[in-house]
Amino acid sequence: MERDVIGEKTRNWVAIVLTDIHFWVPIAVLIGGLLLLQFIH
Amino acid sequence: MESHRRPRIQHQFKTRRAPGSCKCSHSFRFHRGCLAGRGGSADEARLQRSFSDGDFTHHGRRVFLARWSLPALILGTSSVRADVRRAPHLIIWALLAGCLWAVANTLTIFAIRDIGLSIAFPLWNSNSLLGILWGFLFFNELRQAGWRRWAGRTGRSAGHVRWRGPAGDGIILGSSRGAFDARSLGGARAGVLWGTMYIPYRKAYLTGMNPLSFVTFFTFGELGMMSALAVSYLGPAPLWRELMAARDVLFWLMLGGFIWVIGDLFQQYAAKYVGISRGIPLSNTNQLWGLLWGILVFGELHGRGASLYAQVIGGSLLMMMGVGAIALSSATGREQSQWKEAARREGERYDVAQDYVEARMDGRQAANEVKPSRGLLDWLLVAAATFVFVVLATMPACHRCPCAGDRLRS
Repeated sequence: MERDVIGEKTRNWVAIVLTDIHFWVPIAVLIGGLLLLQFIH
Repeated sequence: MESHRRPRIQHQFKTRRAPGSCKCSHSFRFHRGCLAGRGGSADEARLQRSFSDGDFTHHGRRVFLARWSLPALILGTSSVRADVRRAPHLIIWALLAGCLWAVANTLTIFAIRDIGLSIAFPLWNSNSLLGILWGFLFFNELRQAGWRRWAGRTGRSAGHVRWRGPAGDGIILGSSRGAFDARSLGGARAGVLWGTMYIPYRKAYLTGMNPLSFVTFFTFGELGMMSALAVSYLGPAPLWRELMAARDVLFWLMLGGFIWVIGDLFQQYAAKYVGISRGIPLSNTNQLWGLLWGILVFGELHGRGASLYAQVIGGSLLMMMGVGAIALSSATGREQSQWKEAARREGERYDVAQDYVEARMDGRQAANEVKPSRGLLDWLLVAAATFVFVVLATMPACHRCPCAGDRLRS
């Protein structure tokens, strides 16, 4: 029972992070940086 | 363009390293690395200029030790665990920030190699401007701050970006003017990555995370990304050879990393308590220290023209005036209420108790918090870190050789 609650909480905060627009800005910038690095290298 | 630029750069390095003065097998770059502090500092940048593709892997390793032992020593791992229990999502933000840092740092190495420091440095220093933008857009910073504070901040950042161009030509290894090509994007992109890295910083601190907890997880993202890049570019075997080749200067690399982490912690506290729009421009004054090191220790600018001195001294004074303007423009009550509004929003979103967030924003403990204490695990971590330093310091290395001092001064 307790494990279910912890699992539910974990899913919750992961979902909250993934639906946060602030999260996707650094992700987009990171992907852009990796692509540029690949291009330069 | 590139074909004639690189030999010139190498030639200027050679003129400073007193070739043949030492029989040691180590390259000159490691001696300079001893004094390098932050990733964006002038000394570090000069160090990076001389790096080969694989050498950037050392940075992640040299800071890892300090980023785990310092939080254990100052706060205790129990406090780090408590932070994570309250706001587990912050691990993701810390890992993300570490990844951004690693990619930005790697881009600067390629940018320095390809377009020269005098162009690359101002490009990546655009991170101040981006930090101000993100701080304003996402975290209510500088809202209702008044035009004077805005002028001080943006003027300081713009001056910071502009300064390095004319001065940098004289300081660092010759000019690369006119060398803009697609690769100059590397320097600008590093600035974008570093500027955006402060979003996770502010995100974590607005919901109460301690900077010491943040750097503990940040370093996993940093080291993981750096290792992934190094392995993908070099392959495991050449990477291992690179690491082995540097084993007798690891003490200096580790020491540099340790000092770097102490400076970085101050930057983390600045991001937490004065915001990223003030903290980043202030912490970027490391350029001034790099300039002092360059002139006083490495003998740079000696014998150069008066106009160059005027540019360098004038640019430095401009920076210092900007720093003074920022330091005097403390956040007003109205601006601080905007910060609290952003903190309340973040607390509600991630289900973090408001009294905890408010207490941490004020730099105190919440009423129901247990006072942090150090346990056996913390002392073991500190002892292990100390042991590693002692072992590395006692290894036969080039710094024991009498010519090392001469080479540093040369």
